[in-house]
Amino acid sequence: MDKINNDMLVIQVGELIDGISSESKKNISIVISGNSIVDIKPTGELSIPSDLDHKLIDYSDKTILPGLVDSHVHLTGIGDGRSGDELSTLPDEVLSINMANNAKKHLHSGVTTVRDCGAKNDTAFHLRTAAEMGIIDTPRLVLSGRPLAIIGGHLSYFGEQITGVNECRAAVRYLIKQGADFIKVTASGGSTKTSFPLKPSFSQQELNVIVEEAHKFGKHVAAHCHNSEAMVRSLNAGVDTIIHGVFKEPDGTNKYREDITELMLEKNTYVNPTLGPGMMRVQVMENKKQQGNFSEFDQEEMDQILFEHEYRMKCFSKMHESGVPMSAGSDSAWGAYEMGNFFLDIEGHVIGGQTPMQAIQSATSIASKSCWIDDSLGSIETGKLADLIVLDESPINQIENLRTVSEVIKNGEFVDRNNLL
Amino acid sequence: MSEQKVVKAKWLFDMVSDKPIEDGAVIFQSGVITFSGNYEKIKNKIQPDAKIYDFKDKIIIPGMVDCHTHHNGFGDGRSGDDVGLIPDDVLAIKSAKNAKTSLYSGVTTIRENGPKNMTMMRLRDAVNGGLTIAPRMVLCGRPISIIGGHMGYFGGEVTGEDESLALARQLIKEGADYFKITATGGSTATSFPLRPSFSKSELFAVTNEAKNYDMLTATHCLSTEGTDYSLDAGVDMIIHCNFDLPNGESKFDPKLTEKIVKKDAYVNPTLHVGRARVWSLMEGKDAALGGFENKRLNSISITKDRKNILDARLDMAKYGLETKLDHCRQMIDMGVKVITGSDSSWGDYALGNTVHETELLVEAGYSNMEGLKSVTINAAKALGLENQVGSIEVGKSADLAILDKNPIEDIKNLNSVTEVFFMGQSIRRGSEDSNNSYIQKSPQI
Repeated sequence: MDKINNDMLVIQVGELIDGISSESKKNISIVISGNSIVDIKPTGELSIPSDLDHKLIDYSDKTILPGLVDSHVHLTGIGDGRSGDELSTLPDEVLSINMANNAKKHLHSGVTTVRDCGAKNDTAFHLRTAAEMGIIDTPRLVLSGRPLAIIGGHLSYFGEQITGVNECRAAVRYLIKQGADFIKVTASGGSTKTSFPLKPSFSQQELNVIVEEAHKFGKHVAAHCHNSEAMVRSLNAGVDTIIHGVFKEPDGTNKYREDITELMLEKNTYVNPTLGPGMMRVQVMENKKQQGNFSEFDQEEMDQILFEHEYRMKCFSKMHESGVPMSAGSDSAWGAYEMGNFFLDIEGHVIGGQTPMQAIQSATSIASKSCWIDDSLGSIETGKLADLIVLDESPINQIENLRTVSEVIKNGEFVDRNNLL
Repeated sequence: MSEQKVVKAKWLFDMVSDKPIEDGAVIFQSGVITFSGNYEKIKNKIQPDAKIYDFKDKIIIPGMVDCHTHHNGFGDGRSGDDVGLIPDDVLAIKSAKNAKTSLYSGVTTIRENGPKNMTMMRLRDAVNGGLTIAPRMVLCGRPISIIGGHMGYFGGEVTGEDESLALARQLIKEGADYFKITATGGSTATSFPLRPSFSKSELFAVTNEAKNYDMLTATHCLSTEGTDYSLDAGVDMIIHCNFDLPNGESKFDPKLTEKIVKKDAYVNPTLHVGRARVWSLMEGKDAALGGFENKRLNSISITKDRKNILDARLDMAKYGLETKLDHCRQMIDMGVKVITGSDSSWGDYALGNTVHETELLVEAGYSNMEGLKSVTINAAKALGLENQVGSIEVGKSADLAILDKNPIEDIKNLNSVTEVFFMGQSIRRGSEDSNNSYIQKSPQI
């Protein structure tokens, strides 16, 4: 091994899941220098010069994974079940404080990179400022700032309601000026009260201009799609990630469309299926049922939730089997999905038909590709940034073991997971 | 009723008795103290299912009360002018972190002396919404200042009686608990520290409105004349209380001090913020200070040699500290009610280190017990909160700090906090490393 510098960390690990290989590797040594991974070798084959200053850490009974990449968060969310409409009535400073606490919670749970899919006004950018000033510790931030919405459209209460190609172009330019790393657009309505989830929102021309302008500056576009027509328009416009990807007809009927999946494959588009919120909703109802006091109305609601959740799972399986790359992204802390529970979304991928290894990749290498950061993140390879998590138990046969995070290393440094400041 | 809790330890400083109580215990329920005293004497009040916290050979004191904080601040030497440029969202995030720092350091009540715009009111909203935790906060909203006056950049610039009254009413509407007025200039670049800022009639406009709502007032005063005006207007607390004359000389004024005593006003001398500056300069840290001090230094510097400028600054800071200590000593001698208000995180003084200010009050003449009172019961009295906090008495909030070492032996031991209870809740303070991260120490040079 070449002598690189004297600030070196050597981690001997029992099992390595690098985020890319289809099999895990046993007894591997990872060498970290500064903030980068500089060498990976079977433990027996690594020879360290005796005069080299380094710290050796023995994790031979543990598993190491790349730091998780959550490709869909709303750091602004509270996760107590309140709607986005209500959330957006809170003052920016209050939301900022909440974002800082959420960012820390997610980092401590093992998520070292987040793609934030929409916050109010300038709060996301101000969170980044606070992190850059060293006030708070956050995962790496891939930010959209404000989502682009039509007047009254989904997330329009976050402050970016636009109409027409000129305003679309201007909004993209302005967000990039403020520091946006990607553009989030709500191509259909959603939970927002004044929006129409079964209808596409932006016109084809508007979406085309948004994507054209973003790509011009090397930024990617992720589109919220709650119906099939929104997906068709988004795919035709060339968006890079379809979020939710709900196959629904304008009359509300569930209908999986093979042609859309083919279009995804043709356009090389990622899908962020957001299975976590459904998992969470089912869990909340099940808890309620166990506690008793479960009314007929509750049962009806639960049936409806299960019906939609199972349909989403079915569509997920089909897209996955067709070869569409699935990017895990929790959508927390939207709705009732609290921050720090990304594992639930990943578990959803396994229930939907992925192997644990595929699900882990969807939350590491594939998520990093969908966020356009795979040149430096999302896998454990020589030359990549040293974002790693240590698990007490292997998730290879049991994906729930993603909950056994015992250490988080970000940028080559151990995160103090018990720092409550 | 919620679960009964019992905290016991070797020594209990209840701040009512003159001496600590041996083998002390505090019993509380629903966040309120129900019994306290010697364990043997009150143990029959303990319910069988009570939760017992036995801190063995440690020390119980009331949660500390810091009468002067700046939760927007950084304590890294930057000027207030620079803090004023930071977006409100970022300052809110910083304030939330600072508030946790305060709480984990054993300070369970703070009086905030100058945040920007609505930032601290928003922190309060976030606490009330269950999104974060903070000590009990006594808020002014933002300081009331003249145009270009000290901390005018925080958003509270007014002119004339009507505007002063209108701002006072606006602040009440926003939830202010007291009024902070900058009665003289200060470090703010555009202000004049050696002159009073507001006219007496403007001060009266605010103090009269305060009386109307039983609210307290505090004025920032560097100039003797500013203090005089404030006392006439009936201000309840004089902050800094420098005896600076228009020619820049700082000269103790016994007559004015008598007036302070006669008016029964509290004084918050803010000694350590000057020593923190001395410590920084001793370590060669010379943060790009904006403001008046820099202007003054530039005008007296006769060399561009950085070392000499640093030395000049250090000399000046040391002289300022000695002067303030001397004046504080004389005020204490004359019976002025001097209390602890750290002024952190202003200048080089970071939050989480309130004890440094108390330590200097002891250096200025207080006994260790008086020092302890200045940061507990007497501070609570200065804030008008003596019925809720500041001592361990039946009916008061169960705000407690547990110390490793005895403050009666050395007041510095106030920094040996290991556990904090706030409103009856045991506060999770996190890792030792994170709690060491905010501690500032005297440079070892």
